[in-house]
Amino acid sequence: MTVDTKLETPVDTQTMEQAVLEPATLRLPAVIPPVPFPIETLVPDSRQQTPAVGQRATRSDGRLHGLGQTKYIDDIVLPGMLYARIKRAGVASARIVRVDTSAAEAMPGVMAVLTGREIPVNSFGPSFQDQPVLADERVFHAGDGVAAVAAVTEQIAIEALEKIKVEYEPLPAVFDPVEAMKESAPKVHPPNSNIYATKVVKRGDLDRGFAESAHVFERQFRTQMVEHVPLEPHATLAEWDANGRVTLWTTLGRITLGRTDIARTLKMPVNRIRVVGTIVGGNFGGKNEITQEPVLALLSKKTGRPVKGVFSRREEFISSTTRHPFVMDYKTGVDKEGKIIARKVRLVLDGGAYCSWSETTLGKACILAPGPYNIDNVHVEAFVVYTNKTMTGAMRGFGAPQVCFAYESHMDDIAAALGIDPLEIRLRNVFDEGSISPTGQVLHSVVVRDSLLTAAERFGWREGRP
Amino acid sequence: MSSISMRVNGEMRTATVAPETTLLRFLREQLNLTGAKVGCDVGDCGACTVIVDGMAVNACLMLADQADGRDVLTIEGLATRDQLHPLQQAFEIHAALQCGFCGPGVIMSAKALLDETPDPTVQEINDALAGNLCRCTGYTKMVAAIQDVARSRGAGTVKLPAPGNIGRA
Amino acid sequence: MKRRGRGIACMWYPIGFTVAANPSAATVKVNEDGTATLLTGTVETGQGALTVLGQIAAEALGISTEDVHVVSGDTDTTPMDTGAIASRTTYVTGNAVRLAAEEACKILFDVAGPMLGVRPDQLEMRDRKIQVKNFPQRSLPLGEVAYHAQAVKGRPAIGSATWNPPTVPMDPETGQGKPFNTYVYATQIAEVDVDDETGEVEVIRIAAAHDCGTAINPMLVEGQIEGGIAMGIGLALQEEILFDSQGRQINPNLTNYIMPTSLDMPAIEVDIVDSYDPTGPFGAKGVGEPTSVPTAAAILNAIHDAVGVRITSLPATAEKVLAAIKAGPGREMKQLTAA
Repeated sequence: MTVDTKLETPVDTQTMEQAVLEPATLRLPAVIPPVPFPIETLVPDSRQQTPAVGQRATRSDGRLHGLGQTKYIDDIVLPGMLYARIKRAGVASARIVRVDTSAAEAMPGVMAVLTGREIPVNSFGPSFQDQPVLADERVFHAGDGVAAVAAVTEQIAIEALEKIKVEYEPLPAVFDPVEAMKESAPKVHPPNSNIYATKVVKRGDLDRGFAESAHVFERQFRTQMVEHVPLEPHATLAEWDANGRVTLWTTLGRITLGRTDIARTLKMPVNRIRVVGTIVGGNFGGKNEITQEPVLALLSKKTGRPVKGVFSRREEFISSTTRHPFVMDYKTGVDKEGKIIARKVRLVLDGGAYCSWSETTLGKACILAPGPYNIDNVHVEAFVVYTNKTMTGAMRGFGAPQVCFAYESHMDDIAAALGIDPLEIRLRNVFDEGSISPTGQVLHSVVVRDSLLTAAERFGWREGRP
Repeated sequence: MSSISMRVNGEMRTATVAPETTLLRFLREQLNLTGAKVGCDVGDCGACTVIVDGMAVNACLMLADQADGRDVLTIEGLATRDQLHPLQQAFEIHAALQCGFCGPGVIMSAKALLDETPDPTVQEINDALAGNLCRCTGYTKMVAAIQDVARSRGAGTVKLPAPGNIGRA
Repeated sequence: MKRRGRGIACMWYPIGFTVAANPSAATVKVNEDGTATLLTGTVETGQGALTVLGQIAAEALGISTEDVHVVSGDTDTTPMDTGAIASRTTYVTGNAVRLAAEEACKILFDVAGPMLGVRPDQLEMRDRKIQVKNFPQRSLPLGEVAYHAQAVKGRPAIGSATWNPPTVPMDPETGQGKPFNTYVYATQIAEVDVDDETGEVEVIRIAAAHDCGTAINPMLVEGQIEGGIAMGIGLALQEEILFDSQGRQINPNLTNYIMPTSLDMPAIEVDIVDSYDPTGPFGAKGVGEPTSVPTAAAILNAIHDAVGVRITSLPATAEKVLAAIKAGPGREMKQLTAA
């Protein structure tokens, strides 16, 4: 029975049978014998030191994490709390003809059902409001929510979703971003163009730059769609009180602006909404906009009880934002020594069904696309387009990992073609203090050269091949 | 509904559960032991790892009924009132956890490893953590923390490296 | 046969929003015993932001990290913050925290000046004391001044401030402008083994040299770099959401969407590049996002170095690498992934 004798040997030696027969002998809370070999730390407590900056101070939440005492949303239970689940469309592009919730509402244990038509202002988005909280007239991608249920248990809520009947009329769809740019492509958000944002950065004279180049290289690069995979799925707990105030404990990385979005969708004054950002179990950009918060607020209002909703791992993939797939065309002119003279870049971002943080991603990718290099003649044009796929949004780097993959692959292509060492060609081109960025900005605190030399030293680059 | 009894963190617990109740739901919802997390509910992520009869298991894949008559240890059972478990201490010192959601599972996997293999190699540590997904840390500081604990067991106590060296690969 | 290769990638990355305002506010309260409470509207999402902000407040007040309690993430009680996004917390919120602490200091200096017989502008905070600059022998414990300010002078030491990075809008035709106030830089070098019979890539080690301005907490900076590299490895080699012809995800689960485990991690050697940004709090910039920017590029360059093929679409799965090896070096790769 007690296999686990190495660290903690429970002092309780009674048998199972006795315990079952005599519940009064149970004792709580558990008191387990001391651990025999504590680590003797001789590290001065960095949290006590002054000056504070530069200290390897331990995290204020580190001990609680290790003890399992950190309370995430899913660990919170309020009296009378209900569990919410959202029905996902499963079709990528369709008109919603009819939503029949009667069978679900009739189920014992189901306390409320909500559809998109009941949401006061059924649209949101950080740049423009093109995203419904729950799809009401049209489905734009397969992960769209179409109805929500609050029930006394999670299992009943899941079963109730099965009983909600949604009738769809299929509509044409487009899934490839380059296809979506064509005039003939089905429009994701008619009558608007699928190209919903563009950005240009240009300096110098590109044609003259290419004309003066000794060599010109061209290559297309592509990247994939990626999910953030925070270990904690999106979760929200909503409680609407009798004063008409709603409190939302939620996994949002930006509560102040989240509150603005929630107030808008609920058509409520901001001061009647309290958003509490508990410790978030991983963000990486995926928890930077609202998802189910208005739905849970309204379900709580309808039922008069607190309502908790936690995304399943599947919903985390299909219904939250992802990283933009990029199609990147690079054309670069260099002189004989590998100094870049001209660079033309064209970026097409797959924006998925909604804008979300695409404008920001487009802007950063466009500005960063030439790389950390002094280039006199630069032209970058970037487009982000709608497709009927999972929406893409903020994810660690806002397009920078994608363009870095392209400009650094391209750099090695050039180095190989000219027979220059990859470290050396970078050192010939990188920014220094006071360099001018592609947008004409004078840069300060520039240490890219130092980072190249430091990493090369650490790696042993100049010592040659391992 | 079936009646089950098991030892949880040294205490005998009896309860009546529905047959489909997983050990994870039983621990979280009936015993209020919320240290084990629901990360995927299908055994992919390891955030629900607990130790049953000395073996690290995904509590979401085990029915509560299957744990009947067994000995279950959760993250809540590692520390005493006044002392952290060495793994908890080392994880804190190294800042080995960031968002912390995977932490209870990782620490339970590490404990099961050290109970079987007191002085594991880096490869053995990596093997033991392979079922525990973490998106924040790259696992690096976790491995360093586990190594510190292993060293301290071998030598009685061990002096941790100077502050500038903790966590450096 | 396993072939070894090495690849280098450097990058630049901005801190904060692109032109758009992204302000932070903060309130610092120095308690009557010289400890402090910091109110911030940002949210801890695992990166250690609250620890770092506490260290910034502590530095400005001349006290230790442990002396500062941080209250965060509640719209009813904490001040406006744009949030945990765009690698901005240390830089933008950090500046607001530093300014708020300085406001609280002003009150304490006003109170301490007459107590020490000097002008308030002659004072500084250090080691839990308020002392005369260049004459540290004359000092008072911070707690004593804070108590005096609150209980005798009726001026509790509370400071509030906001900060927003200054930018210049970009010209819509040319993009010329100053979209960000500062940037960070980094280089990562990867060493990989590529099995030329299976196409399988194993990352052996990565040397990462990152600029974050002053490292407010080097241990947490390392944690960001190590975690960012893990995410970069996933982007480079493993992770991809796939769709069927109807636009439905094929692999929306962690069984078939393969993110890096402990077994996929290389040895990581971290260097924090010496750097100081005068526009950041105590010279700090930021580090969250840039850590995962150059990883994929470095790994893909290392694959090219190892087996001579240029994979032009991510991820570089074993199938894709093997197909490229079979097609021979120098050939253009076709996009192998589903739409």
